[in-house]
Amino acid sequence: MINHFENLSIDPNELPSLAGIDFKPIDPNYLKVSLISSALFFLILIGGSIAIIEFSDIEEKTNGYLISMSAIIILAAVSVILTILGFKKKQYALRQRDIIYTKGLIWSVRTTVPFNRIQHAELKQGPIERLYKINSLKLYTAGGQSSDLVIPGLPDKDALSIKDFVLKKTEEDGANQS
Amino acid sequence: MEQTNHDFSIPQRQPSVAIGIILIKFFRMTIKAIWPILVSLIIGRRAGSTFNDIILYVVIGFAAYNLIGSILTYFRFYYYVKDNAIVLDKGVLRKTRTNIPFERIQTINFSQNLLHRLFNVVSVEIDSAGANKSEISIDALSKDEAIALREYIMAEKEHLISESGTEEEKEISADRSPSELLLHLTPSDLLKVGVSQNHLRSMGIIFAFVFTTMNELTNDIGDFVSDQFTQFESFAEHNTLFAFVASAILVTIISFLFSLGNSLLKYYDLKLWMSKNGLKLVRGLLNREEVTINRNKVQMVSWSTNPIRKLFKMYTLQIAQASSSEVNAHKSKINVPGSYKEQLAKVINMVFPSEYLGTEVKHSISPVIKFRIVLFYGILPSLVALSAWFLIEDAAFYFLLVLPLSFFLGQTYHKKRSYEINEELIRSNGGIVGTENVLTQIHKIQAVKVKQSWYQRRKRLATIKLYTAAGEMSIPYITISEALQLENFVLYRVQTDKREWM
Repeated sequence: MINHFENLSIDPNELPSLAGIDFKPIDPNYLKVSLISSALFFLILIGGSIAIIEFSDIEEKTNGYLISMSAIIILAAVSVILTILGFKKKQYALRQRDIIYTKGLIWSVRTTVPFNRIQHAELKQGPIERLYKINSLKLYTAGGQSSDLVIPGLPDKDALSIKDFVLKKTEEDGANQS
Repeated sequence: MEQTNHDFSIPQRQPSVAIGIILIKFFRMTIKAIWPILVSLIIGRRAGSTFNDIILYVVIGFAAYNLIGSILTYFRFYYYVKDNAIVLDKGVLRKTRTNIPFERIQTINFSQNLLHRLFNVVSVEIDSAGANKSEISIDALSKDEAIALREYIMAEKEHLISESGTEEEKEISADRSPSELLLHLTPSDLLKVGVSQNHLRSMGIIFAFVFTTMNELTNDIGDFVSDQFTQFESFAEHNTLFAFVASAILVTIISFLFSLGNSLLKYYDLKLWMSKNGLKLVRGLLNREEVTINRNKVQMVSWSTNPIRKLFKMYTLQIAQASSSEVNAHKSKINVPGSYKEQLAKVINMVFPSEYLGTEVKHSISPVIKFRIVLFYGILPSLVALSAWFLIEDAAFYFLLVLPLSFFLGQTYHKKRSYEINEELIRSNGGIVGTENVLTQIHKIQAVKVKQSWYQRRKRLATIKLYTAAGEMSIPYITISEALQLENFVLYRVQTDKREWM
């Protein structure tokens, strides 16, 4: 591998790279949760469009149904396919000094937050997530909302231990106690 | 440090002139919120409907309720010092007590609007490090008292820290070093700043304002205006070219005057002082604003220029500091237009370790981005325009002009976009019409993102984003191996650096 940065005291190639680490997939139940919540969303959408067509004075009701339902079905199909294919891309890894989360099927994003830059951590659980006993771990940094890290689909027992692990690491590494 | 004439331990109200200031603030806010309703009511009253009357009474009632509320706020507002902390008591129905220990106070800023200056009072803002909602403000204090309060708090803070603090904290707190006046905008400099403002943006602001207020007003106003202009309208119909040129000139002049006036109001008599531990900025004509910037809180420094400003050899300097809450995000970025090169260099030298400020290799980004820019800003828009040919007929061909324009855009963007890195600092350069440079210290980075679109994956390219506590830096379209090395190096530096980032 060529070194792009000769002025640095350390050869970036010698630093721990991503090649060696094993990314862990998130809990398969999360796929069910996201499918259920998008199903709910599309049901509401269908209900809404039925109501609009029935209560408005559109002359050709069959046409209205044809157009709106086919649009919704196409949207739902695309969203289901993207959710299923994109699920495999949602992975996380804990390293010695940072936590990594990857996602995105078409636009892939890999976010890395060093433990010593984490401000605080919290676990979140929505109603559907509670049924399947999974959690989202949210890690806050000082970098604002766009750099906060959210890892969804962590089973109850893992979520708590990961959160504790992260907070312990943050305390050990943290230089930022003012 | 005994102050003989000010005893801060007794709970005090603000000076009575504060009522006036609170009231004016209240009126300004109310009028701002409801003036479109008022205007349309007054004009609409000709019709004289009862519905309008009801709305009017509701508005008046709401205003009166707020008015009483804000007067009571004044009588319920006390501030005092207790156990090395500043305490604010306020609230009419629900009382709140805010307590900020001196050690946590970062800066104490004053600002003055016209009214404040008339009565020689200042409004005080106390900013502290840490949790959200950690800023307190006092609407009006007499200037002497405010200065005495600040002196007192800062002296006490220093005293406290020298008893218990670490070496580093002592160094920070010793903010008694002499400060140097680094920059003072003279009237001619101010004029240059005004002339070299982004007039297109002013035009945008004016248009946005006109359209939004027009929207809020009812049709009555529309009728009212068109009544006045019917004659002009028929004139314009017969002289299209004349009307077009005349309105273009008018809009240009208005935008120019708007940005000139805006910079006069905002940057009048701007002064920037520099001391060992930070910067102090005072500016404004009617609203005299004072901002203190702590050296340690600075996360990013950027400087930019545009062709006109370049003629004057001027730059806009922006200093971004970590803010304690997201609400004050706008305050955390301080713009100093009309800085010359040597002033720029001084500020950068003060904020960042000077031994790392040499010139570095400029790494350019992949030329592939040129094709993407031509595709997204040239080919796609012209295809859309051409496919709308049957609608707008021959006018569609004018849209083909975006093709050479986007080509030029891609060329300059790629030519100017680059980044530089060394052990300590990372700098990104860019710009299309002007230039824009951003500089930050690597250990202040909070998170790293590597992004790839489907297209970038095929070309083995990536975009890297570095987040600091006061904004982000993005380096687009570099090779994946370069992005990986950059990511690894930045993370390594952040993780091994034991210095505080704030």
